Amino acid sequence: MKTMRLFPLELRRLLQSRLTWLIMALTVLSPVLGLVLYKPATSTTMLSVYLANPAMAGGVAGAILFGLLAIFELDRARRSRVDILTDAMVSPLTTALTRLLALLTAAVLTAGLTMLVWLPISAGLIGSVFTGANYVLAYLLLMGLALPLGILAAAAAYQFTRRADLSIVLFIAFCALSLTVWADDWQLCWLNPCVWALSDDFSNFRVFRSVAWMRLTWLAALAGVWTVSYLCIRQYGKGMFGSLARSVRRIYRPAVALALLAFSGTAYAAQPFIDQSNPDLTVMSFYEIPYAEGVTFLGRSAQVFPDTAAGTVTGRASYRFQNTSGQEQSISFGINPGYAISNVQTNGADVPFTVSDYQEYNEALLEVTIPAEEEVELTMEYSGFPQESMPTMQGGKELSSEYLCLENSTLSPRVMNVMPGEAGYPAEIEITLPDSMIAIPFSSSEAEVISENADGTRTWRYEANSAGGILYAGDYICEQIEAGGMTIEFYYGRKHQAVMEEAGAVDAVKAVVDYCTEHYGTLSFGTGETLKLIQSRVAGGGYAVGGASLLDEADFTIANLGDTDKGVVPGEIFIHELVHQWWGLGNMFDTSDSTSPWSSEGLTVYTTYRIVKELYGADYAQQYYVDQWQQVVDDYYLNFYVRHPEYLEMLPEAERLNIAGGLSGVRRYNEMPLKILKAEQLVGGEEAMDQILRGLFNRELDPMYPYLTYQEFLDTCHLTEEDLNLG
Amino acid sequence: MGKIFRYECRRLLWNKFFIGLAVVLLLYGALVLHSVTILGVSHTAPFSPWSFGDYLSRMMLLLWLGMLFFLTFYTSPQARRAAILMDATPMPPKQYALARCAAALTGGALLTLLCMVEAAVFYGRMFHWYSWGSLLLPALVTLLPALVFALGSGWLAGQIRPWLVYVWMAVPFLLAALPLPEALGLWNGSFFTAYPLTLETLDPAFTVPEVVLLPQGIALAAGIVLLTAWQNRYPAAA
Repeated sequence: MKTMRLFPLELRRLLQSRLTWLIMALTVLSPVLGLVLYKPATSTTMLSVYLANPAMAGGVAGAILFGLLAIFELDRARRSRVDILTDAMVSPLTTALTRLLALLTAAVLTAGLTMLVWLPISAGLIGSVFTGANYVLAYLLLMGLALPLGILAAAAAYQFTRRADLSIVLFIAFCALSLTVWADDWQLCWLNPCVWALSDDFSNFRVFRSVAWMRLTWLAALAGVWTVSYLCIRQYGKGMFGSLARSVRRIYRPAVALALLAFSGTAYAAQPFIDQSNPDLTVMSFYEIPYAEGVTFLGRSAQVFPDTAAGTVTGRASYRFQNTSGQEQSISFGINPGYAISNVQTNGADVPFTVSDYQEYNEALLEVTIPAEEEVELTMEYSGFPQESMPTMQGGKELSSEYLCLENSTLSPRVMNVMPGEAGYPAEIEITLPDSMIAIPFSSSEAEVISENADGTRTWRYEANSAGGILYAGDYICEQIEAGGMTIEFYYGRKHQAVMEEAGAVDAVKAVVDYCTEHYGTLSFGTGETLKLIQSRVAGGGYAVGGASLLDEADFTIANLGDTDKGVVPGEIFIHELVHQWWGLGNMFDTSDSTSPWSSEGLTVYTTYRIVKELYGADYAQQYYVDQWQQVVDDYYLNFYVRHPEYLEMLPEAERLNIAGGLSGVRRYNEMPLKILKAEQLVGGEEAMDQILRGLFNRELDPMYPYLTYQEFLDTCHLTEEDLNLG
Repeated sequence: MGKIFRYECRRLLWNKFFIGLAVVLLLYGALVLHSVTILGVSHTAPFSPWSFGDYLSRMMLLLWLGMLFFLTFYTSPQARRAAILMDATPMPPKQYALARCAAALTGGALLTLLCMVEAAVFYGRMFHWYSWGSLLLPALVTLLPALVFALGSGWLAGQIRPWLVYVWMAVPFLLAALPLPEALGLWNGSFFTAYPLTLETLDPAFTVPEVVLLPQGIALAAGIVLLTAWQNRYPAAA
């Protein structure tokens, strides 16, 4: 009661201090650091750049500032040598609790103020993909919850040591630990959450859940530590242990501390987000499991029920095998490590099964023994929260009413050691989704709605032929585009509609597909009749399979579409990114040598130039492409580090890589297109170059090294590297 | 006189504001050196006088601010209250103002030195480059006129209205944003990035054309005149 009576007084006193207002003002300003200095989110989506980074920078700076303020405030009476007097008036335990509550309230006020101040700035910077939910969650979780953690840690340090200087050192060391050693451990980096990207076009609940889990784990841990330090507050002239012995007499106090620490420990150990996959990615022991003798695959079906509110998946899977061995056989499945398996039956009877503790490539091993019967129907149920493997790149298993991607064993258990039957691995998948979502199998299969349910969901069905399979679903817009003699189904997120329309996406797709198909040939992963182009949630890159190709949303952000290195207007950037379907995905490039200017960018920028020349004329292409490349390349050759590489070598690694990266970008985006243009002139003009590129695009690939090399390009042009020197 | 100067120096320099200012200056300097200067300007080396001049131009924003901040010590309400007592002392106001002015100039010089030492350490650590003598000319041409003018004009502004000193702090930020003529290129740093490109040679030696030197000379002279003209009064008396 006394604490509650003193709390308003303490809060008023705190808010009358100029230092408090300075700390609050600095904290409110601190997100600006995320725009210029501290950028832990490496993705280029608008939300990563203009929301995640400022919020995380604000969290780091705010937690440190409020931690220092806490130490300053707790040390105030002792510093003024009036602690003996104040302790005589009010119990030091009551004072500590009151001060903590006042500091936490000031932190809440500051977080609210920061959100108000940065709301219009963030909305302006992010543009049409800004949403209030992302904004509020980002600032609450990435920034807001960092402040109480800083206060609790610093206050605990002071209450243990009762020395301002020592507690500042301890607190700063604790912060430094999070920013350095623990930076890549998503559960330990209490100050700077492991967030590498926020999606512009789809939801980010998975990432936010993970950050919330980490924050709450630490909140419980630091509240527990603070409670222990609270018990150590010096009383009655006793030392730390004497005071502790006296404070623990009220048994609920240590009980609260223990409960908080136990809760934190449990939350740490039982986190549901990240699996325990073998970090050695060269080990692929699941692929070495011998095939079950005499067992062939007849078919499978699965009914999948994602719970988009909870982010979980429930499913039933059924497999039909032919067992001609006359013996029991052990069948191996890969399952997502977050799933629990139940009701495993063969031909209607329960059978034993085991799930391995060992995990590899985001899969655990489920082993089921099937009976020695010729036809076996194996059924099972699975449910759980899909886990991911890469703690520093979380978000891939996003599952909400806006987006989901269920890959292979996350969609349904994947058979690993059964030979395909005559029909291969026929599969029939049914998935029930909210009616706002479209199901898009990542293959040539088409999903169709088979029932509209009373609970606002629709059940989709599609057939496939594989042991695994990938399914995308989301709030997508689908544009059907006839181009290059095939139908392109272009799927992009509804939130991206304005950006796509501004960029003239449909026209760009048509122009690119027509041009590239005519000049270079059809994409090997198209079926000849259809090709799905699916914009995915930010994933760090795209990939392609037969009939479908993925476009990473990070390539189509407003900022990227304004990058003049890749084209002049957004529509041209879009063309650039689509051309990567031919040069980048259709034909891959070995990028292991970062010093080489040869990459998919050279041919992509050159092809973009050719398309633009065809669309807008030679003068336009000359002015906005060739002349610009030439100017940038001229500057490049005059660059100090290019003329004096020995000075570049002298620099520390971080600076060297940064500068070399910038120079390498110039070479890939400007020098190489100019070289290709020169090659075009040397081989006899555009038509001759088109023939050469067509030949290269359709060449027979070496499966061991399927990359298009610079030497191959030069050899096909009958040129040498020296022939293409621009100097 | 010497005693008062030492006292004013101690008052100005031995306090948390000066330390805070120095820390901010060093942090900003490190940011500029690591993100801008390290690339070099106009195709020259990061340690060329041109790149160093560009660094100093960027630092001038904070140095100007710091210099005027020192003057606020003499224009604060406390200083104004104390001025009545000061006026009653047998110390000639001219000498007293001179001592204060010299202390503020010393503070500015120390901050400038800090920036230059930081750059020198950066060059040594990054490039093992130690020919610091070649950097003195751009430092003198860029900073001396600007800072003396800041002190003189700030002194005058403080005498007119104490709050004008704070307004005057915004001047370099305004200059950095304005498209100034070539002759005033040293006031927004554009001189160091644009002029070497007009010399049409790689790694040109540092030269300043007369048209750019003239405004610098005028600024230096104006600063000195303002300081000497008003040193018989001090801002606190306003």
